[in-house]
Amino acid sequence: MRIEDLKAGQEIRYSGKLIVMRDQAQRRLKEIVDRGEEPPVDLRGQIVFYAGPAKTPSGKPVGAIGPTTSARMDDYLEMLFDLGVTATIGKGKRSKKAIEACRKWKRVYFVTPSGTAAALSKRVKKSRVLAFEDLGPEAVYEIEVEDFPLIVAIDSSGNTIFRE
Amino acid sequence: MINKHVISEKIKRAIIEANIKINPEVEEIIERYEGPFSDIIKENCRVSKEEKLPLCQDTGIVEFFVFMGHEVKLEEPIEETLNRAVGEVYSEYPFRYSIVTDPLFERINTGTNTPAIVHIFQVKGKSLEIRFLVKGGGSENLTVLRMMTPTSDVEKVKEFVIEHIKAHGAKACPPLHVGIGIGGTADKALLLSKLALTKSFEERNKDPKYAELEKELEEELNFLVIGFQGLGKGITVYSVHIEHFPTHIATLPVAVSVDCYLCRRGKVTFEN
Repeated sequence: MRIEDLKAGQEIRYSGKLIVMRDQAQRRLKEIVDRGEEPPVDLRGQIVFYAGPAKTPSGKPVGAIGPTTSARMDDYLEMLFDLGVTATIGKGKRSKKAIEACRKWKRVYFVTPSGTAAALSKRVKKSRVLAFEDLGPEAVYEIEVEDFPLIVAIDSSGNTIFRE
Repeated sequence: MINKHVISEKIKRAIIEANIKINPEVEEIIERYEGPFSDIIKENCRVSKEEKLPLCQDTGIVEFFVFMGHEVKLEEPIEETLNRAVGEVYSEYPFRYSIVTDPLFERINTGTNTPAIVHIFQVKGKSLEIRFLVKGGGSENLTVLRMMTPTSDVEKVKEFVIEHIKAHGAKACPPLHVGIGIGGTADKALLLSKLALTKSFEERNKDPKYAELEKELEEELNFLVIGFQGLGKGITVYSVHIEHFPTHIATLPVAVSVDCYLCRRGKVTFEN
């Protein structure tokens, strides 16, 4: 299914790769981009999941994982789209600026259930650190998920499920 | 003398439980919820308990409220005991270390989830009561203080609370527990709003006027229909608790704190 065909309110189950990246990683990424350097992660065609997992228990692919508040990172959204990101996943309402960015770039924003990290971790099959390892839970990870529950919260026409 | 290991062990058990076992008051409400993501929310309560995984990846900053009897004797400052307990729990369990050293310049992770936040209140007697909140960053970011004019009425206070939750409630994993601190000084009001979050949903302010205001706010906030996960289905707030304190003739501080839908909290008591 194409990103542009998704409609606000639609529920889907996603299987595939996600790039886990939150506040400090995006701040660093912006510094790198602003200096005109090559980003350490190729974000073309990728979906960014705003999350910071808990520690990995031994024998498990990932620790408890779940979305963090997306609105905090609205200032970095256009940068992500410019680097090729097709969608973002997080929790909560976003700013008008973020809605406008989704419309302009024809990209979407999904929500996934928050505070359900134990259940979501069962849907993560693999995990590895891609960059900024020193940031600990805020490092950039690549995870592989199966049947990950998502709801389209902002679609590529700028329609949103949240009330004003 | 209360043995420091006895305090530490009991506190550790309570923090572990708050992180992996759903709050029974919340569980009842979750059972009845049928809206979006309800299957995952219910599954989460089960999986976390069975596999000793945290309910939420944000295992929070631990905030303690210590009510220390004036006759209580301890082996060491209570803050040391509490920080050691937090450090041990977060190292032994797959809980996230979410605390960074310097807030502005070098945000380096402390690797122990300490320091915790410790508030100490001295009370009469021989008992030691320790309440705590496992406070996620997303809900903490909703904390707000407004220094209102001393002639502001109840309606103005309500308006402030409702506008705030309306604009930001969806960011903090609703349904929310809402704590309100009215009076004192700016810092006192904030502390009271946090203390209000340590109460169970059924408790009411002893002053009937404030109890009435709690009920009115609860109703009006639920009219916002923000719902579970901010998706418009189910209740918006579990409960509203107000704590008040005398204030200066020129001031009316009003603080609002919220807790996310998991309401991870605990209370342990010791006798000297």
